[in-house]
Amino acid sequence: MLDHAFEALKTFDFGTPLSDVQAIEDASVSAHIDADIRKDIEQRLIAALGWDISRDAKDYVCRKLAMVGSAAAVPAISDLLSNEGNSHLARHALERIPGPEAAAALATAAKDLSGKLKLGAIGSLGVRGETNAVATLASLLKDQHATVVRAAALSLGAIGGTESAAALQTALKAASADSNSLIDGLLSCAESLVKQKRATEATAIYSFLSDDDQPRLVRLAATRGLLTCAEA
Amino acid sequence: MTNASRKRTSQYANLPSDVVNSETNMGTSRRKFLKTAGAATFGVPFIITSSALGNANRPAASDRIVMGGIGIGNMGRGDQGSFLGRGDVQYIAACDVREKNREESKARVDDRYKNRDCQVYNDFRELLARPDIDAVHIATPDHWHALLMIEACRNGKDVYCQKPETLTLREGPLMIAAARRYGRIASGGSQRVLGDYRQYVDPAWAGEFGTIKSINVSVGPLPQLCNLPEEPMEEKIDWDMWLGPAAWAPYNSKRCSGSYSIDGASWRSFSDYSGGGMTDWGAHHFGGATFICDVRELQPTDVIYNDTAEGKWLDYKYATGLSIHHNKPRTGNLHIEGTPGEQLAPRPVPAYKGNGDIYGDFIECVKTRELPFRDIEKAVNTCVLAHLGNIAYQLKRSLKWDSAAQKFVNDEEANRMVDRGRREPWQL
Repeated sequence: MLDHAFEALKTFDFGTPLSDVQAIEDASVSAHIDADIRKDIEQRLIAALGWDISRDAKDYVCRKLAMVGSAAAVPAISDLLSNEGNSHLARHALERIPGPEAAAALATAAKDLSGKLKLGAIGSLGVRGETNAVATLASLLKDQHATVVRAAALSLGAIGGTESAAALQTALKAASADSNSLIDGLLSCAESLVKQKRATEATAIYSFLSDDDQPRLVRLAATRGLLTCAEA
Repeated sequence: MTNASRKRTSQYANLPSDVVNSETNMGTSRRKFLKTAGAATFGVPFIITSSALGNANRPAASDRIVMGGIGIGNMGRGDQGSFLGRGDVQYIAACDVREKNREESKARVDDRYKNRDCQVYNDFRELLARPDIDAVHIATPDHWHALLMIEACRNGKDVYCQKPETLTLREGPLMIAAARRYGRIASGGSQRVLGDYRQYVDPAWAGEFGTIKSINVSVGPLPQLCNLPEEPMEEKIDWDMWLGPAAWAPYNSKRCSGSYSIDGASWRSFSDYSGGGMTDWGAHHFGGATFICDVRELQPTDVIYNDTAEGKWLDYKYATGLSIHHNKPRTGNLHIEGTPGEQLAPRPVPAYKGNGDIYGDFIECVKTRELPFRDIEKAVNTCVLAHLGNIAYQLKRSLKWDSAAQKFVNDEEANRMVDRGRREPWQL
């Protein structure tokens, strides 16, 4: 059955009945309880990414590797990060594969790619909460493209912590244009510190954002944060 | 909206007045914007209309909630009509990626106010950037909900979001955080939770069932992956924006149909855009069940997967001892197992604030800054049940859920399903 399903993958495209590849779906679920099945299905999926198959087929493979992939799958998936057609679902897989290999692949993509694909890689680092990527993301706060700055700011906010906050605060002091995403990221960092019971550091951020020069919406957020810290 | 019209209550009681009455975006207040725009562009009007001044049935323009809508298809049209019908709302903008919906929406709004003022947009970012809008309603397909609600909060808007509010487990806490961060009123959109289950809600809150041991929810089916082929595009739709954060796929009329079908003929059927019947009707039924049992603030700790000769079904277990069953064989929807002979102390049934329905509840809370009946946190807790169920059925196994960490316990595959990648450039 599985052999047939992988054979079907060679001609799989939009319009192909999903029943043709159902065995791959079933094996991906079974992989949880059987390490050998998991290794086998992962190896087959990695091999399939090397085939001359449709965009839809490669996306399907990435969806399955998101479930069963390990570090062994990272090189094959990473090759798709610069491919406009498959980059999204390649990131979907890499966001889910634990370990430094997937994180490193996304960090490299965040530095080296351009346009939307770069934004995607930056966003994925935030989703993973990659503390090791803070320096990379901090450097992107100086990018000439506002969309890159925004993506990096939101990802730093998602990662949280004092390092992210320091980078965002520095960028905010130097910001001349739209600073909403930097502020949002900084507020997220403060919230992460509150959760870690680091009220002193969070208070410093909220105090910084409660300045009279800030828009009222931001002062509202900062004042709420200060009250939370005071009660902590 | 004047300061006086917004009673300061509940969570904002201790905040400075200029912060509490934040009707602003990050940059410019609405009143400041109107003043500036009026002076710079239009000059001082010679005649102040009766509409602007208000009357016995309609507040003055400055006291109305200024609204816009995003996603004006089947559900959005109904939501828009409900807000348009309110005298304390001034509806000024609508956004949809379908040209037909934009045109119909503008005609509907302009006809209501007998003017040509409604602005329409293809890109929601333009609508959310308007500083003169206080609140928005969202009725896009589910894969857009979290992104739009969070962006709306970042832009200082209060939000009414159609159900099911989330597409993934990770989205919920981020939506709640955005609403709380910016002090926004964020309401979910199931009108049925309070409206449809009173025959169970009233005796349950009156204590007549005694301690409720279990309740069954019958709903489905699960969503499926969509692999439909490309079709000629015979409608004017911004396809890239319709897909948004979902995986790229070619246009197909069934893929993007907003019909209420959950059997493969609408986006509600497909996992890239919806949680299927589990979330679509589950938002109502699970919402009703958690209301009946008064566990709206909680999430379950375990999902027990049962594969029996009579069918597959789930048992969601709560720390309180309650079980919410899903599709338990030979058990009707909202069948309650109480404690015979036990009478609990009655409690008042929570109700909508303001006058009227769930829309009135939202508008009242926009004015008073109280939490609405379907506050986003309660709506998210409802959606969690549906998402946990979808994952348990898909993985065919029982799951332990750590609601504090928002993670499954010792289950790597399940944790990989807590969220999904978003197509570039979209990011929460």
